Order: sequence, then C-alpha cells, then structure tokens
Amino acid sequence: MNPRTRKILEIVLDNLVWFMLLFVLIVFSIFIPNYFQLGIFANIIEASSVLGVMSIGLALVIIAGHMDLSVESVAALAAMAVGILFCSAGIGFGIKLYPEWLMVPVSLLVAVAVGGLIGFFNGFLVVKLKMSAFIITLASYIWVRGLVLAVSGGRSAQDLAPAIRWLGIQRLLGLPLTAWIAIACFVVFSAVMAKTPFGRHLKMIGGNETATYRAGIRVTRNLVIAFMLAGAIAGLAGWLLAIRTSGATANLGVGLLFNAFAAVVIGGVSLKGGVGSLPGVYAGVLLLSSINTAINLMGLPANFTQVVHGLLVLAAVLLDTFKQNLRQRLA
Amino acid sequence: MKRIVLAAFGVVALAMAMLTPAFAQSKGTVYYLVPTLLDEFQTGSVSALEMFLKQTGYEMKTLNADNKTDAQQSQMNDVIALKPAAIVLAAVDFNALKPSIEAAMAAGIPVVEFDRQITSTPSAFTSVAGTVEIGYVAAEQAEKLLKAKNGSVKGKILQVLGDPGDPYTLDIQKGFEEKMKASPDVTIVSLPAMQWEASNAGTIVADQLVANPDIDLIFSHAAHLSVAAVASLESAGKKPGDIMMMSSNGAPVGLDLIRKGWLNVEVEQPLYAQAAAVAMFMDKIVNKQEIKPGEYDVLHLKSTVTNEAWGPNIKIPGAAIDKSNVDNPAFWGNMKPPTETIKAVE
Repeated sequence: MNPRTRKILEIVLDNLVWFMLLFVLIVFSIFIPNYFQLGIFANIIEASSVLGVMSIGLALVIIAGHMDLSVESVAALAAMAVGILFCSAGIGFGIKLYPEWLMVPVSLLVAVAVGGLIGFFNGFLVVKLKMSAFIITLASYIWVRGLVLAVSGGRSAQDLAPAIRWLGIQRLLGLPLTAWIAIACFVVFSAVMAKTPFGRHLKMIGGNETATYRAGIRVTRNLVIAFMLAGAIAGLAGWLLAIRTSGATANLGVGLLFNAFAAVVIGGVSLKGGVGSLPGVYAGVLLLSSINTAINLMGLPANFTQVVHGLLVLAAVLLDTFKQNLRQRLA
Repeated sequence: MKRIVLAAFGVVALAMAMLTPAFAQSKGTVYYLVPTLLDEFQTGSVSALEMFLKQTGYEMKTLNADNKTDAQQSQMNDVIALKPAAIVLAAVDFNALKPSIEAAMAAGIPVVEFDRQITSTPSAFTSVAGTVEIGYVAAEQAEKLLKAKNGSVKGKILQVLGDPGDPYTLDIQKGFEEKMKASPDVTIVSLPAMQWEASNAGTIVADQLVANPDIDLIFSHAAHLSVAAVASLESAGKKPGDIMMMSSNGAPVGLDLIRKGWLNVEVEQPLYAQAAAVAMFMDKIVNKQEIKPGEYDVLHLKSTVTNEAWGPNIKIPGAAIDKSNVDNPAFWGNMKPPTETIKAVE
C-alpha cells in the first residue's frame, strides 16, 4: 500500500462514523418516502439534542476509564426540579422571576447544580473510597429515579414558563435554539478534550491510571471533576428535556441511558478508556437519531420497531469493530 | 443518654398502643399490586382505592411492580404467603399473571382485577372501564371530529401508542382500529412511544408533521404524551386548533390541554368509580358471597355487573371529555375526590 492510499484510508477510518452517517442518510433518503427533506434533517438534529448532551458527559467518564450509569436518572431529576419550580400546571409551583429572562439562567443553574451534586457524590465514592463505578452509579441510577418519583408523587409538571420554553420554539437557521445549545456543547467540550491539559489528562488516566499518577498528574482530582462534569452535563440534558416536552413526567428520559451508551460506542469511544473523541460521539448520536426518524417514517408495525432499532444499532457497532480491526492491520 | 433512649422507646410504645385499636377495627388488609407509579392514572388509583377501601373498613397496602412482569409475579407469591383479605391486581401482563392468580385463588385469597381485565382465568371480581371499549369511544369521537372538519368521515389520523410491549395500549389500538374500519376514507398512521416516554411521542409528532403535513387528528394513548405532542406542534409554529387532538385516560394534564384549546377530546377512564366499585363489593368478595348481576349505581354512574366466564365483572362506562364538560368534578383529572361516603353492597 502506497503512503497516499494509506493516508486516505486512515482519514476514512478516523471519520468512519461520519461516513456511516452519510451513507445511512443517503440510503434512507432513497428508499424511505418523505425522508429527504430539510424539515426531517432539522428534526434529526433537534431530536439528538438531549441524547447528544447526555452522551458528552458519559463519554468523558468512559474516556477516563470509568462509567456513569446514573446520567439518565440525573437528567430526569434535573428536569423534574425545573418542572416543579417553573411549570404552572400539574405539580408545578409556577415560580415567576422578573425580568422573565432571568428564569432561563436560574433554571439552568438549578438543573446543572442538581446534576453536579449527584456527580460529585458519585465521583467521591468511586475515586476517594475506591468503590466500583459500575455499582455506585447503578445505585444512583436507581435511587435518583426513585427520588424523581418521590418528589413528584408520580404526577407531572406541565406548562413550562414561556420565557424558558422560548428556547425550544425559537428557531435559528431552521433549528430550535436547544439544538444550537447541544451543538455548542459539543464544540466546547471537543475543544476542552483536544486542547486543554484536563482533556489530555483524562485520556491518559483512561489509558493507564497508574502511569499517569506516576507522571505527577492529579488523577483523583481529575476523576472527581470528570464525574461532576458528567452529572452537571446530565443536568443540562434534563433542562433541555424539560424545555423540549414543556415540563416533566416521572418517566421522562427512560431508555436514554442505553441510547447514550450506543452513541458513545458507535462514536468510537473505547469502553476500556483512553480512546475517543467527542465529534465522533456527536456523529453517533446523529446516526441513532437518523435511524429513529427512519423508523418513525417507515410506518412499521409497532411490535417490530424495537427489533429494527436494535439490529441497526448492532450493524453500526459491527462496522465500528471492523474499523478497529482494519486499523490494527494498518498499524 | 439513657433517659433519651428510654423516652424514645416510651414514645414508640405509646404510638404502637395507639395503632392497635385501629388495626382491631379493620376488616382486614387488602394488597393492591399496581403496575407502575410513573403514570398519573396509577398513582391516582392508589389514593382512590385506599380512600374507598378505608370507608368500607379495609386497610390497603400497595406494591409497585415498576412495569416488570416478573416483579409482579414475585409480589403475588409474597402476598399469598401473607394471607391478606384480598388482592387487588392491575396486571402488568394480562396473561403472565394467570398462574399467580390461580395460586392465590387456590389458597383461598380472592383476587380482584382492577382496570386491566384478565379473561383467561376466573377471578373473584373485575372492575374495568374496558381498554378495548376506550378505543371504541375514541373512534366515535374521532369520527365526529373528522366529520365536523372535513364534511364526512375522511382524513388522516396519527395514532401515538404507548409502549408496544404493554397490552393496555394494544387493546386501545385494537378497539380504535376495529371501529375505524367502518370508515375506509380514513388513513391511520400508528407509531409507538417507547416506554410511554413523552419525548419519544414528541419526536414522532415532529417527524410526522414533516412527512405527513396533512394530518387532521393526533390521537395519543395517554394525556402526558399529548403534552409532548403539543410541545412539538408549538415548535413547528402551530396554534391550538390547527391540528385536532385527542387522548385517552383523562389525566389532569389532558384536561388542562382542553382548557387551553389544544386538545379536542379526552376519553376518560372512570378512575373513581372503578375504585369505588371494588370497595363497594369488597365485603362480598372477602366473604365469598354471591355478587348478583344487574345494574348498580357507582358514584352516580350506571354500571353493569355481569357474570362472565372469568367471574363477576363490573363495567363502568368511560366518558368523552371536551370543552363543554371539562370542569365536571366527577372526572378524576380534576383531582376532586368524591366527598360522599360509599356503602358496601349488601
């Protein structure tokens, strides 16, 4: 293989998930009626905003060699906190702040703080007390969802304050502002991971924690920050979820965790840690959202949609494995 | 320190002593096996059953299965071992619970089916609005709405189901589509909101608005799905009334949407009456007395008891709620539990 072919192949492999996304979009556009239109592509980006933001936090912790199973429940709790405070129907208190725009940063702060606190709790137990991240965050996944149920009493909060809901309605270049917030998150955190010492240290910790510690890097502090960030970002995802659905129900966000894991893996993040980039994760999220939209438009019998969804995700993951094997041969 | 501990024990002992007479007055404990608490109808059913059963002298305890069939089977097994006066079951899975129901009945513990009818095995009593019937009522309302809009029963309906693994939503779909077959000019697009999750319903509506801009009516199988559907309609620049909407179960959020003009019709499940019927017949159920077929007044709703192959069955009619009657306090979505005390059927 000559150097030029090799270079092209490496570029393709580095961005395989984006090529997969492009391929899937072309195939769906050809074979699924009504798929090929700007409105549908805008929907795909909009529908991926919550999952996308949640996947960022999850990816950070996985790249650092751990995992966080609590992100889905944390997002639900953050959404419920925002819903209870700023919704005017159901169990919402309908709190008003003046000027009204103040409700946007305050609600965001509430959601991020709720998430950050749980993230810190998880990080403290995992890192300081050397407990298994799987068990600790699984416990949080359960108790935090239980807390959502306890504080809501199983009821829902509806009719989010118009000043906050505005972000889900107002469009810029055909996309709601919530989708732009998700895109901005990816840009910012991609830069953090690629350009800052913190991002590089997380990758090093995920690759080899002991070696990183011996190199004088503060592993404990960085890991606690990673868990806190994952929680805070999940809180942000919950805030977006509340805006998108104009409130919160006790089962809001159920099932997002597994989609977030699928997106992260498809996006090229190794579950063993140390490998992965956030732009790839965003492509993974868009890929899943494209598949969901395709299923919505295909009009399949309800009983089969989950099977199709699962098989398409499996195909994407197999393709990713093929990529890893090919890369090893090239090395 | 010693004094504090002794005082604490004293308070606990006093509390226990005060509790004893309450237990003594109770006719027994009834266990309610609720399928999930992540849904307003189910949480409402817990408080309604508790209130009515208390009025007829029973204490109620609730176990939540979190929508897991195996968890509910284990709960049934555990409760059978406790030998309660009766078990009220709202089954997660209509068929999978059959052996557990048979085991409880064989152990002499009467099982009451609540809200979700199980016809494959006999129970002591069944109190339902009928999920298939809810589909029928919804279809009648859909026909009315389409006729009013298009001059005849024609057009396109987007049906947003709940989780496709939940027989409750599949039965509503069955009833709805069965009735709508009589209207061949109506196209129905049916899609499931996985795990009854609201944002999934929102995504379905957003996609379908682009793919099928000629949708006349959106029918969601639960009111909380309609809330997310409305959010998607708002994002697409729609105003109340641009697309007709309908949902089923009669939750508070659905009634709010009617008041705001988004929702045209909400098909109510008569939660209070369903729960009251269970309590009204509980003495007969526990004492294994005959429940006579006929018409009964359950919270002013004419309800019919019939003897079916699966045992005595009371069917309470579901109601269609629209702007004209949305404030009627009889609807459970208005969260005003009946003030009158119910009496046991003699």
